[in-house]
Amino acid sequence: MTATVEPSEFKFVSFDADLIASIADGLVDVLGIDRPVHVIVDEATPLARTRTEIGDTITIRVESGAFEDARQPRHQSELSTAATLARALLRARDRISGGFGEAPADDDLDLRQIAAWEVYCVGRMERLGVPVNPQRWKYNFRNRHGFNDTADMAFDRIWTADGLSWGELEAISTAGATEGAPA
Amino acid sequence: MRKFFPVDSLARDSRFNQITMSQSQADPRSPLMASDTEKRPKANRLQPSRPDASDAARSLMHGIFVGEIQALEGAGRTCHDFETGTEAPFALKLDMARQAWDEARHVEISVKLSEWMGSEIGQYAENTVLFEAACSTDPVLRLAGVNRALEGLAIDVFTTMKDFGGIAGDPYLEFCEDWMLADEVTHVKMGSDWLRRITENDPERRKKALEFQSVVDKIFSFGGTRSDSQESPIGLARRFRELAGFTDAEVEDIADVSLRALEERKEFTRQAQADAVEQFSAS
Repeated sequence: MTATVEPSEFKFVSFDADLIASIADGLVDVLGIDRPVHVIVDEATPLARTRTEIGDTITIRVESGAFEDARQPRHQSELSTAATLARALLRARDRISGGFGEAPADDDLDLRQIAAWEVYCVGRMERLGVPVNPQRWKYNFRNRHGFNDTADMAFDRIWTADGLSWGELEAISTAGATEGAPA
Repeated sequence: MRKFFPVDSLARDSRFNQITMSQSQADPRSPLMASDTEKRPKANRLQPSRPDASDAARSLMHGIFVGEIQALEGAGRTCHDFETGTEAPFALKLDMARQAWDEARHVEISVKLSEWMGSEIGQYAENTVLFEAACSTDPVLRLAGVNRALEGLAIDVFTTMKDFGGIAGDPYLEFCEDWMLADEVTHVKMGSDWLRRITENDPERRKKALEFQSVVDKIFSFGGTRSDSQESPIGLARRFRELAGFTDAEVEDIADVSLRALEERKEFTRQAQADAVEQFSAS
């Protein structure tokens, strides 16, 4: 299967659609994704949000900031592209085959749940060899769970975990959250 | 030792990538113009409730870090660039030396906070516009650009970040920003006091300095990134500006100029995107 990218040429940013497709293809192989992947880049915004739709094809909608080299605005970062697509595809794989059937739809996840799932994805990405900065994800996790030892212990459990179900992930996250944390 | 250092000769190691204001402003993209605006919150103010809050705060923290380096360079240059007595009073240069000491401490604090938030030095582009405001050959314009415009922006940014840390429950961020904010209020106050003292009998020079400050304030609004509008990530810290010696009229002027910058940026983005589509279609 070959990943497809839309648009094929970019007007506002210096991105390479072939490079995006090539990175997506590599991740599809490594992660054992069982269906085609289509990536749609919104180049009109520098924000960095990602949305994933799962059907016969996995469609990943990405805002251009998610693929951008922050050192060189409007230029593509291969590493950011790989990290963004890996997180999106890991979440998709969780939903398809990883015991996440009862997880809320993406739009219904709160910020605490999103942060916990991100940590679960990025921890696995690191073990796959994708370079990551754990402190970045710990900071986001603390913003959503609280700045204390309980939250940090929950972070460590999720970061090192494999094979969690949604219920297990949610239980660790809930136990690690301080009441009143901005979720 | 060389005087009046140009912005393109600032000392940086290979971790840094510098961009100019014109490069930054040429970006036709804008979060205000996204295609699914109906799903966006109307407010862009940097608060923990924003889904992208952590990354936005990390990016702003890096901006603070490089801003502190440039403020250090600006205050330090003022100590060196002007002759004591004939061009600048000794006491003014002593204040600038104290400020340089503060800024150096702020750089160290910003590095530690960046590590705490998961960023690395040089991870984001460095916009050199802050130092550009510190290149005037008139010490009064230098004070207007650095102490009143740049440090005034720092008051707005630190207030936003301090509030962010408080709401998120981040004790380090809230504490550090509060202490740096106190320094910035002092720096602005020094600029306000010196500007009035030096131009006490020279209304024309004072007028020129305040006009220069207004121009710099508009540039430092970064296309409305800082304004009273909830569309702007950074608000105008009116109370702390008042403490720093800004009059109500001056704060209103900055508010107006910032809102104009926001509207102009939106119009520029609309036009730039239309132009890019047209050029792409023609090619």
